[in-house]
Amino acid sequence: MIGIGNPLQCDDGLGACAAQLLAEEALPAGVQIEELGTPGWGLVNFLQGWQRVILIDAVCMGEEPGTWRRLEKDEIQLVASDQVRSLHEPGLAESLSLAQTLGLLPDEIVLYGVEPACIQPGDKLSPAVRQAMPPLIKHILGELWKKTQTPNGSF
Amino acid sequence: MSKRIDVHHVTRVEGHGNIVVEVANSQLKECRFDVVETPRFFEAMLLGRPYTEASHITSRICGICATGHATTSLRASEKALGIEPSQQTVLLRKLSFHGEILDSHILHVYMLVAPDFLGVGSVIPLASSHPEVVLRALRMKKLSGDMCAIVTGRHTHPIAMTVGGFTHFPKRAELESLRQRLEAARADVDATVELFASLPWPQFERDTEYISLTKPDEYAFIDGEIKSSDGMKLPIESYREVTNEYMVPHSTAKFTRFQRESYMVGALARFNNNYDQLHPRAKAAAAALGMKPKVTNTYLNSGAQVVEITHCIEDAILIVDQLLEKGVTPEEPVAPTRQSGEGVGSCDVPRGILFHHYWIGEDGNITGANCIIPTNQNIANLEADMRVLVPQIMDKPVDGMRLDLEMMVRAYDPCISCSVHVAKLVTK
Repeated sequence: MIGIGNPLQCDDGLGACAAQLLAEEALPAGVQIEELGTPGWGLVNFLQGWQRVILIDAVCMGEEPGTWRRLEKDEIQLVASDQVRSLHEPGLAESLSLAQTLGLLPDEIVLYGVEPACIQPGDKLSPAVRQAMPPLIKHILGELWKKTQTPNGSF
Repeated sequence: MSKRIDVHHVTRVEGHGNIVVEVANSQLKECRFDVVETPRFFEAMLLGRPYTEASHITSRICGICATGHATTSLRASEKALGIEPSQQTVLLRKLSFHGEILDSHILHVYMLVAPDFLGVGSVIPLASSHPEVVLRALRMKKLSGDMCAIVTGRHTHPIAMTVGGFTHFPKRAELESLRQRLEAARADVDATVELFASLPWPQFERDTEYISLTKPDEYAFIDGEIKSSDGMKLPIESYREVTNEYMVPHSTAKFTRFQRESYMVGALARFNNNYDQLHPRAKAAAAALGMKPKVTNTYLNSGAQVVEITHCIEDAILIVDQLLEKGVTPEEPVAPTRQSGEGVGSCDVPRGILFHHYWIGEDGNITGANCIIPTNQNIANLEADMRVLVPQIMDKPVDGMRLDLEMMVRAYDPCISCSVHVAKLVTK
């Protein structure tokens, strides 16, 4: 489980917040929580060797702030620019696209995208995103435990 | 013939800089590299803060050279307070410093420079056309990041390095595993040398003054003296005599000059000044790249980075061996021998020589700070290179001229700071 985003950019920090909240919960064996901030290309190295990766990040979907959606691999549009211009630039789309091109994407990859209300300097989540966190965490925990209890679960 | 090249925000560099070149009637009219970054005020942020926080604050100057800034900062505080770190601390710092040099150089040569030679716009199409190259780069990047993390607690922004020592120590098993991975990385290093030796490096020669650290007994990255290739050595406390910072209207970065109109810092300067102390395998890599000092082709700064990748892998193996032989023992950081003072720290970070100068008051808070980063020191030299380059390439089509100029900027591996944008070209 990887939380992505910069906690110093208000709602962009929701991935980090979710990772911290999940780390306080009882988790099935074989689950690792990572709070990666803005890993750039480094994300590709974190994806390798895992059967299943769940990413949590702020995603602009044109929804009401705080709305979250669970996106499967084929629902995540890997819209990456061909012209990555700086090591500061590669974001989630570029890193996932690079991993896909290199055949390094895990078999199962899920993105929990949360609609942000504000992305600007600041260390607090907006009220809408803050309120969305507990039900989101509960849902992810449910998914984790359900997966591990099924005989064919991925973990 | 008249041409104007206006690259607004050069790509595949760190930060914002513009190339502005104008040729009118086959005469070079204008040739500038504008640095348009906003000032960042890190020195002001240090004022009034305890010296123990300085390395953590200044490491945020750069997400790539974080260990370099932190180490330089620690050395400035240690000199101010009369602290001599233990031999174990010195070895551990060298090891994480090598990790950062490797990480930075690998990213630069593979992700930012190689696409120019392999005919693609960036690393993403490179992954389709040359997947083995990108996989190798990612493997080497992971090793160098893990090297930093084992020693300093995490990949970027070291948390375990403190004034006088460390707050966390690598376990024997971690060092043993690291040693195995470093040995295994030799195959990737050899493939890296082979790849970059096969590239058609642009021809360009301009002799300049090369400035780096130097030490009597090792290829210098941390501490030592300031060395000029024009033949002068100065203590690092005399850094202002070397940097002579001055302002120009078109740049928010200060320019520097020493004995000539400009000087160059970075891997090529270190290579030229300290070649004899490179590991034999690194010298072999240099031979494969056709490099022997003094190299005056600026484009080969990236070649010197490949040489240093070889050196740092080999030297890291030697350092790990020493640590394994002696055993790493947890130890308290060395305490200050005085409560206040003034000190200058200097390291040769991936992009060149870096200075931190601190004044610490009786209450342990910082009362003054000065940081001079490598990229500033290179900008005057970059412009001098461009003034020589443009007349040599002005018969090329504008696209070709622009690519040559952009590659020249990238050769310096400038870290202007964070961001991006589009290239704009105006012809007339």
